[in-house]
Amino acid sequence: MRVVHYLNQFFSGFGGEKSASMNPVRIEGPVGPGRGLQLDIVATLACGDDFFAQHEEEAIGRLLAMLEAERPDVLVCGPSFDSGRYGYACGSLAREAARRGIPCVTAMHPDSPGVEASDRSAYIIPTSTSVAGMQAVLPRIANLARRLGSGESLGPPEQEGYLRRGARRNRVADKTGATRAVDLLLQKLTGQVETEIVARSDHVPPPRPVSDLSKATLALVTEAGCVPRGNPDRLPSRRSSFWLRYSLAGVESLSRDGYETVHGGFDTRAANEDLNRLVPLDVVRQLETEGRIGRLHEVLYTTSGVDTPVARAVKFGQEIAGELKEAGIDAVLLTGT
Amino acid sequence: MQLATFDTKSVVASASTQWRDGRLELDLNALRKMILEKYPTVESIGIDIVRPGDAVRVVNVLDAVEPVVKADDPSTTFPGALGQLTIAGRGQTNRLGGVALLSTADLKRHTASKDFPDSLVDMGGPGAVYSYWSRTTNVVLNFVCDSTVDLVEVDRSIRRATLDAAKHLASATLEAVPDNLANLSLDCPISSSLPSVCVILQVASEGPGDDTYLYGAPVEGMLPILLDPCEVLDGALISAAYDSAAVQNPTYFYQRNQLIRDLLAANANRLRFAGVVLTLAYLNSSFEKRRVAMLAAKLASQLGADGAVLTTFSSGNSHTDTMLTCQACERLGVRTTVVLAETNSGLTDHVAQADCVVSVGNDDELVDQWHPDRILGGDRLRDGRPASDPGYLLPVRAYLGATSQMGDMSIQGVAE
Repeated sequence: MRVVHYLNQFFSGFGGEKSASMNPVRIEGPVGPGRGLQLDIVATLACGDDFFAQHEEEAIGRLLAMLEAERPDVLVCGPSFDSGRYGYACGSLAREAARRGIPCVTAMHPDSPGVEASDRSAYIIPTSTSVAGMQAVLPRIANLARRLGSGESLGPPEQEGYLRRGARRNRVADKTGATRAVDLLLQKLTGQVETEIVARSDHVPPPRPVSDLSKATLALVTEAGCVPRGNPDRLPSRRSSFWLRYSLAGVESLSRDGYETVHGGFDTRAANEDLNRLVPLDVVRQLETEGRIGRLHEVLYTTSGVDTPVARAVKFGQEIAGELKEAGIDAVLLTGT
Repeated sequence: MQLATFDTKSVVASASTQWRDGRLELDLNALRKMILEKYPTVESIGIDIVRPGDAVRVVNVLDAVEPVVKADDPSTTFPGALGQLTIAGRGQTNRLGGVALLSTADLKRHTASKDFPDSLVDMGGPGAVYSYWSRTTNVVLNFVCDSTVDLVEVDRSIRRATLDAAKHLASATLEAVPDNLANLSLDCPISSSLPSVCVILQVASEGPGDDTYLYGAPVEGMLPILLDPCEVLDGALISAAYDSAAVQNPTYFYQRNQLIRDLLAANANRLRFAGVVLTLAYLNSSFEKRRVAMLAAKLASQLGADGAVLTTFSSGNSHTDTMLTCQACERLGVRTTVVLAETNSGLTDHVAQADCVVSVGNDDELVDQWHPDRILGGDRLRDGRPASDPGYLLPVRAYLGATSQMGDMSIQGVAE
């Protein structure tokens, strides 16, 4: 498990107020309180509290770049106790990490501005006001971080000891969903619109069309659960917590003997007769030979897209898109099921 | 349609089958013999009776069915799916109020290519609130079929045997006097000033194990069609979907559909119930999704509906179908309320027109631990853990129908 730890200038050993304007830095392995966590901390990120407060956008941008480069399973921030600026930095970084699908555990006093800054996306363990609570809180942080990092779902906040987050809780209403639906519709028809779920639309504008496909590098990406036969890397059939990449070098077609789908969301019998109908490698190779596409990127990106939590799917998308961008890909054929 | 209700306060095993004074005496051997003789794929069948409050967990639940029989002609019960083809929702139907059949089987024995997540009913404990059938007396059927037979045939046998058992139980009422006789119909004089409301009922057909049957055939390829509400209540629609338990529409929820019953009750006093548009989700392309959404909205508009309640089948993919249907309706001036289940990371899809959404709960929430005394339907969860192990938390999505998006439950997701 890859853990990244965030600390301010003081706890990372760079000194007190006089170092508070320190730029973000990366330190190999655990530092200070990080040693007490007894987690596999691959890197510690540190930033001065003043720097973070005065150059928030820049600080977050630089810290996120360092964070994402580590490909962490979980981020730990703090603990920051009652320190306002440090707590704010922890909460803000946690929020941004969560938006990128990286789960985050932090610990601070419940009145810290970091609680609000986290936008309820982090698991925050409440602490006392003073650093004297350090030894008590570290094992609790480590416990949650270890479990989140291995993809486990946590129990409710009261049971696990973190502050309530944004996740919506179930309750038993006075009326059935059907009865409430009829009531809300009749009310809407009189001009009074009410809703039980306020949702945000997240529509991605399509990029510009590829101008000349015969010069473009094309990549194949799928959520159809296509893997080498025998599923050597144990891709889960549903609720996958990861994606995989496989080389297509020298592969002309996805043969029945070489590949299979382990997707758990549809009857895979027909697909397993001809995997090229899930990922059209045979046709793409033909087009490549004919010169109608410039070149096929020799890597297949694959996962099982079924029951995947939206936040995790967003993370997969960003990770795969990041690699494709780095590889200079012009176009992607994304096949879904 | 006349719906004759026989309130059934207890179901007991007996030497003969009869219904008397709110008590169903059931000859388990006769029921077992009937199923084994008529459905040769079934090698053995366990039959258990469970009651509200029992410390019983039922696992591997495929479907829940209310025992019913067509009183005028029992051979037409569940037309197409079991009985002779005739239009449902006409004549008299006898129902055993307060009773359900739960069919259970380990379908994984019959397919390597299909996944079946956990599907539970808890009769007591903290999961009971997510189990509609924790409040009914249930006859639990545990089917063990010939392991050499494939999923298609096993599914067909179990589905038909369960419907046959439902008819068998309710047939005990054929000579009895009902506790209640309700006349359900859209035919009554209605003031033109009342708002007109329809239901757009979403179903899906993704092949064996993920299917919905209309009059005995999968709805695959169906265009939106108009149904009389009574057809839905009277066995025209049958569930054959055993994926994602919480967001399924078990057959019982079609038979006892709260939304349709509410609209029938409100018809001619609060509104005019314009009918049910049955539409299809899990369509494969953007074009197909937009096309079917448009045609469903067009039917609602042709019905003269001012408003529509949009139900949703399962999750993910279908939420896009719901949203596109909502958008198409609103653009035609048919105002909408959408019924949706949510997750810890919100909704899969959303359009700006979906400004009136009913939450039927958060599927990702974890249910408190429970240690039942008895497990029926198998002894293990899908991942191999013992089903009675109290050492872990199960998510709401493991409970059959818990967040069914036709609105039959009272679970609601709220912000905290």
